[in-house]
This record gives sequence, C-alpha cells and structure tokens, in this order.
Amino acid sequence: MGKVKLKYFSRIRETIGKTSELVEIKSTNIQDLIEELQAMGEQYSVLKGRDFAVYSAVDQNIVTDVKTSIEGATEIAFFPPMTGG
Amino acid sequence: MLHRIIVAVQKNDFDLNSEMETLKLKTEKAGAVVIFIGKVRDLEDDNLKYLEIESFEELAKSQIKEICDDAANKWDLEYILVKHRFGRLKINDNIVLVITSSKHRKKAYEASQFIMEYLKSNVPFWKKEVADKTQKWVENS
Repeated sequence: MGKVKLKYFSRIRETIGKTSELVEIKSTNIQDLIEELQAMGEQYSVLKGRDFAVYSAVDQNIVTDVKTSIEGATEIAFFPPMTGG
Repeated sequence: MLHRIIVAVQKNDFDLNSEMETLKLKTEKAGAVVIFIGKVRDLEDDNLKYLEIESFEELAKSQIKEICDDAANKWDLEYILVKHRFGRLKINDNIVLVITSSKHRKKAYEASQFIMEYLKSNVPFWKKEVADKTQKWVENS
C-alpha cells in the first residue's frame, strides 16, 4: 500500500496517545488495517470498538463498512460516536 | 429559489446581531427567521469547570454543508446559517448557531430541527465535560 496519514480523535486519540501519525501499511481495507495496527501495540486495540462504536473516514468520507477499500487513500481517521450540537 | 448557505466551524464566538443584519440584506422575500442557539449548561450532579469541544474541522464543515444543501432543497429555504464552535467553553458560552429563513414559518422551524438533529450525531464533534469531581466524554442519549 504505502504511507498513509492516520488521524485519531477524542477517546481514541487519548488512548493511542497521539493526534496523527504517518504509517507504512500493507492492508487494503479498514478491518485489516485495525488488525495491522493492533500488532504495533496494545493501545490500538481501542480501534476494535469493544467499549464504543468506532467510526472511520477515508480521505474525509465517513465509511460504515469495515470492508471498505483503503487502496490509494492518503488519510484515514478513526473516531468514536459524534456528539455535536 | 436562490439558496444562500453559510457554514463555519470556528473557535471564536458568533455575533447574532451582525448575522441578522447580513441575513436581512439577503432575504427580502422571506417572512420567517428561526434562530436556534445551543449553549453550555452546568451539570446536575457536579460543577462544570469547562466543556472541551474537539472537532475534525474539514470533515465537519463538509458534513454540515451537505445537510444544509439537503435542507435548502427539501424546505425551499432562502437562507441557512450554521456556525459551530470548538475549543474550551464555559457555562453559558455559545456552542452552535442555526438560522433558517423561509417565506413562512413552518418550513424554517422544520428545517432548523432537522439540521440540529443531524448535528447531534452525524458531524464530527466530540464534547468532554470537565467538572470538579469528574471528567467524561459526552455520549448521545
């Protein structure tokens, strides 16, 4: 795949301990990427969504299916349920 | 009808009077203006020190713009303004301003509610309540 900018927000940012990072990844969909990241450290297990739903946005498009392709993506964001307004 | 849509995701407060002056210049055929302001409230069982609002700014702005486009078409609005703040806010500080304007009131009311419902759970903002005894991320009820 290549290098992708990963962004983390809210509780996910706090757990992972950074707002963003540039990572060389092999995965071609969100589900595989989460597994790949988890192998980098236990803090990434928050992305599995056991405690709360985890949303992702690929190049600023919110995706609901973890099988969504990330091939060619330059930015992938992870965040918990949104609470605006 | 020509729709005018204004969207901002910003740290600074908004000025309702100046927004209304701008709106009046652009909406001479509209007889209804609905204004919704969401503000920071204190907690029931603790004393809020501040509310921290985090945002994914670029995505938030595009999501709001998209829902405003939908609302403008669905309710035939003349004017929609949504300004949502982020950063550290105190009790009574403004969080969000939604202004909808249409020929008659029904459409402006309905559109305002529709936009607010969408903002609550579909636009990337997250609120953290920091109080005397606790701090926690707000969850949608």
